[in-house]
Amino acid sequence: MPLKRPSRSSQISPSTAIKTLLLGAAIAFPYLTDARLYMVAAIDVFIMAAFAMSYDLLLGFTGIVSFGHALFFGLGAYLVAIVMKSSGASWLPFLAAVLLTVVLAVGLAGLIGVLSLRVRDVYFAMVTLAFGELFAIGVEKWRTVTGGSDGFNFRLPEFLIDKNHVYFLSLFFMLASLLILRRFVNSPVGRVLLAIRENEPRAQALGYNTLHYKQISILVSGTVASLAGVMWAVAHRFVSTELPSLNRTIDALLMTIIGGTGTLYGGIVGSLTMRVIHDVLSGFSSSHIIFNRWLLIFGLIYILIVLFFPAGIIGSAAKMIGRWKERHPQIS
Amino acid sequence: MSIVITLMLNGLANGMLIFLIAIGVSVIFGLMGIMNFAHGALFMWGAYAGVTTYLATGSFLLGIAASGIVSALWGLAMERLTLRQVYGNHLAQILVTMGALLVLTEAVKAIWGPNIITVGTPTVLRGGWEVGGVIFLRYKLLTIGIGLGIFAGLQFLLNRTRLGMMIRAGVENPEMVRALGIRIRLVFSLVFALGAAVAGISGMILAVGQGAFGPDIGLSNQLLAFIVVVVGGLGSVTGTLIGAVLVGVTTSFMAYFLPDLAMAVNVGLMALLLLVRPQGLFSN
Repeated sequence: MPLKRPSRSSQISPSTAIKTLLLGAAIAFPYLTDARLYMVAAIDVFIMAAFAMSYDLLLGFTGIVSFGHALFFGLGAYLVAIVMKSSGASWLPFLAAVLLTVVLAVGLAGLIGVLSLRVRDVYFAMVTLAFGELFAIGVEKWRTVTGGSDGFNFRLPEFLIDKNHVYFLSLFFMLASLLILRRFVNSPVGRVLLAIRENEPRAQALGYNTLHYKQISILVSGTVASLAGVMWAVAHRFVSTELPSLNRTIDALLMTIIGGTGTLYGGIVGSLTMRVIHDVLSGFSSSHIIFNRWLLIFGLIYILIVLFFPAGIIGSAAKMIGRWKERHPQIS
Repeated sequence: MSIVITLMLNGLANGMLIFLIAIGVSVIFGLMGIMNFAHGALFMWGAYAGVTTYLATGSFLLGIAASGIVSALWGLAMERLTLRQVYGNHLAQILVTMGALLVLTEAVKAIWGPNIITVGTPTVLRGGWEVGGVIFLRYKLLTIGIGLGIFAGLQFLLNRTRLGMMIRAGVENPEMVRALGIRIRLVFSLVFALGAAVAGISGMILAVGQGAFGPDIGLSNQLLAFIVVVVGGLGSVTGTLIGAVLVGVTTSFMAYFLPDLAMAVNVGLMALLLLVRPQGLFSN
């Protein structure tokens, strides 16, 4: 007879309460506002959060930097777009395109890993940058299929056009990514990845083939990123060369760093923070020209965070709460 | 046949230019173990500052000087203000230099705008000679000359001077060099500024050679520089030169026969090398 798991506490912990509240707010959101603008912004935040979390798997949990992550994002988006454009709006080709995306993402991630992981760590950053840019250039040059830098729009099955459906689908996609990635980093493989991040020679000395584990990490991360690209294409029904560009990778980098690396939740916090700050700064753009160059401001914030608050928002908040608890042991 | 020689010559000039872009990346990595992802931005600042000075004063030489100085100052600022905080932390170094690439690129866009800037070659450097069907363009010859000159200068500096000795010793064992009373941090800063200055000058030469350039000039050339240092072997001056000429000649031929695939062939070259000889052609 299976033993019942002992419940840890009858009380609900504050963090569970906050998460439940936020989830409830996210579910109620479409019923509270009719403004299309907010819906579109929220959908983007969800999709980019998933993309940033897949980036966090590499940066925060494996300790390697990719500058070509947008390759996977662009791959998913363009594959779905091209298939839907040429086949018309039905389900079968759509699902086939999603499947093909996963297969190709795994293949490409494997290739990049084989080429770059054997040498110094910094090669991974350089090789991913090269492959990412090559992909972006290829998308721009192959005009007959991709429409060049103008991009193109396409049709989708009726169900995927309703904004409410897309909203809940992308919310679901973000939560599923979060749960899968969390499960993955807490698995035995994920623990080895943490060991690699902390001290790779030691992990090797313990008998782990670290190359093999890093390869798995790249495969998982690339697959989630490519599916985020699929979701982006579904939400916008339009693709352009901006999707596989380095700027998209930098977005994921900024979100992960600002939110907090090695936390997964940091991707969500970072994605939301960036969107809000971006929209606020854009609102100021009429008062001073500098607000048009909001990436300049983000870049400076990002550098300051890397130098002085490497834990990001989530990590710094956790530290502050920890210190507060030490000072007030009687509460909680 | 003459077209092949012309293309080779073009490739050599391209290669020398790429060498100038890449050498900073290679030497800075060799000495400090830092892969500078902001190198393309320093290159870009050289192009913009140099061309602006050249257009304002009409003097090409003043433009070259401005490009070197401005990029060196940015390099120095980067090294002092950010990289100094994270010595020894490779992850943070990559992240910080990428941030610097973003900030410096956006700053260029904020100052000069996102549009293409056109610039003419000085009259003295226009045109060329045709000898037996082979075309010798003055500007290309100048580029080859400057490239070879800087290569020779660097070899002299690294192998024949006291500063070069400190740099080479610093690569081997920075702690020991410090213990001998040499301010190795200062040497690091100098090397960083020097690498940045050469990148800036190459930016100016490339921008004027192209006649028109925009804010994407930084990243695309940084990519070439990275391919070159992977092919040539990180930290090796000779390897960088050979790698640069290889990539330059390939690009030149591809640009003539199949321009759309030029970058693909270069990345393919890098991929092949990583498979066969991952430490690069000339690794030490």
